[in-house]
Amino acid sequence: MADSQPRLLLQIGKRLAAGFVSLIFLAFVVFMIDEVAPGDAAVVKAGEKATLEQVQRIRVQMGLDRPWFIRFPEYVAKAATGDFGASYQGTQEPVSKILASALPLTLSLAGPAILVAIFMGLTLGTIAAVWRGRWPDRLVLAFSTLGVTVPNFVLAPILVLIFSLQLDALPATWESPLRAPAFFYLLLPVLVLSARPSATLVRLTRASMIDTLSQEFIKLARAKGVGPLRLVLRHGLRNAVLPVITSMGTSFGFLLTGSYIVETFFTMPGMGFQALKAIQKNDTPVLMGCVLLTGLLFIVVNLLVDILQPILDPRIREAQI
Amino acid sequence: MKRRNKLGPLFWGSVVFLGLLLVMATIGPSIRHPHDARVGETLQGPSAEFWLGTDDLGRDIFSRLTYGARVSLTVGIVVQIFALVLGITIGMIGALAPKWIAGPVMRFTDGMFAFPDLLLAILIVGIFGFSSAGGILAPLSAVLGSGLTPVIIALAVTAWPSIARLVRGQVATLKQREYVQAARAMGAKPSWLVLKHILPHLWGIILAVSMVDLAAVILAESAMSFLGIGVQPPDASWGTMINQARVNMQAHPLLLVWPCVLLSLTIFALNFVGDGLRDLADPKSEKK
Repeated sequence: MADSQPRLLLQIGKRLAAGFVSLIFLAFVVFMIDEVAPGDAAVVKAGEKATLEQVQRIRVQMGLDRPWFIRFPEYVAKAATGDFGASYQGTQEPVSKILASALPLTLSLAGPAILVAIFMGLTLGTIAAVWRGRWPDRLVLAFSTLGVTVPNFVLAPILVLIFSLQLDALPATWESPLRAPAFFYLLLPVLVLSARPSATLVRLTRASMIDTLSQEFIKLARAKGVGPLRLVLRHGLRNAVLPVITSMGTSFGFLLTGSYIVETFFTMPGMGFQALKAIQKNDTPVLMGCVLLTGLLFIVVNLLVDILQPILDPRIREAQI
Repeated sequence: MKRRNKLGPLFWGSVVFLGLLLVMATIGPSIRHPHDARVGETLQGPSAEFWLGTDDLGRDIFSRLTYGARVSLTVGIVVQIFALVLGITIGMIGALAPKWIAGPVMRFTDGMFAFPDLLLAILIVGIFGFSSAGGILAPLSAVLGSGLTPVIIALAVTAWPSIARLVRGQVATLKQREYVQAARAMGAKPSWLVLKHILPHLWGIILAVSMVDLAAVILAESAMSFLGIGVQPPDASWGTMINQARVNMQAHPLLLVWPCVLLSLTIFALNFVGDGLRDLADPKSEKK
């Protein structure tokens, strides 16, 4: 028991190192967009009327003629300080500024969506496990099958059709300025976004709960006279929740890319919206910034999940290494 | 144990649906050209001439749906072939190569598996430029058609890790089996072991997983087309149809409903077929 502390630290250190490697790899792939994509910052800076020689001169001035293995560390160093270059389009706004306005919106979608997914997953999954094989279980399973198979860009128009166009209860698209509290605008997008992670978490919770409830310590607790509610919530759920936490990282990935679709559908100027606009306009720096930041979020959340796991679950702590 | 051969009505229903879809995708677009726009006949209701009516440009919806099916199935199957070749090769390396090669390879596979597909696909489309078919991609574009190539490449890059992980896991257990050990002891070469003793056992489970993966690929293609970075107009795809139908959603909801229903049913059907095949291939994996 005494050596469990340094073991834990070693594990966390390993995870951190792995996360760092993934991040550098991601940055490299993102950097390669700029290498392969037609046009570069020099072409944009020189303006439309510039001759090839002028563009070449500016390229040398900006240092863009140097080989990639010199410019890549530079790019990483700059990105680490929040400098992602400037947009090729319009007023050539700094990418960091665009990201700073897009990130809060994306987070205000993904954050509530993951909370909804956790809540739905745990409650419905537990209900299904407790009444396993009976109608609540079947109902929950049917619901989660729908959630997994119906894509969010199909669910979104269906919900908009019902709630915005037929019932006229909620706005169909994002507007600026908003004409009602942001809550009403976020309700449908968050619901759409959380459908798939909810469904996966329901299935996972159900399986994990069934597994937990069949174990000896539950029988023991029942024999000792623990009430059914306390048995399920305190003895069952506390153990069943661990695999659910593990899957949280992957679920968050779904949420991030799902938010790209949801933002496009509801025309919300978040990260996904900006990234797709950038692809359509060949605005490479903005695309790079969006993908890098989204990837960073994904890696950080997974890292947190990985670190949290052995802290929450002593069995993992002991089993590894 | 009797349940082994019992495939439910959902399985057979799904098979029939997928068969119909395949027939539709093959002959549907030749009944009427999906780009054929009729001026003055926009947004028509169903009629004898236009079975499901026309869209906002006067194009036959039924024909566009079938063309969308063709696009989805083509992309799905081509990507799945790429994914199988890559995935089986890498999975074999992961299971059979010496540890210093297999370790990093599988670590990379795990990373690719966990990374969000769509983000990676967007990145790749960003790299190649979704409209440009020239350059490095020219030979592939000549075979596949210029509009689909970036989508296929992007999805192939994201689709192989699940197959690789499956193959690695299966091969790792198979190679411990006594008959494989015996063959090895008798001096069988590794290539012989793989081809004669290991791979034949894997086709069932690989086929099952391929069906579920095919659903994921079709979903991803539709998502990309919906986002405007997949199949480009005027070509029809279920994703682009859903996107375009949003404009007239209130007055003509059916325009939106058809591609949504077809896409969802296809995903359903592929998942059910995959589950059924998995139960056949590996009775132990049956759900609790």
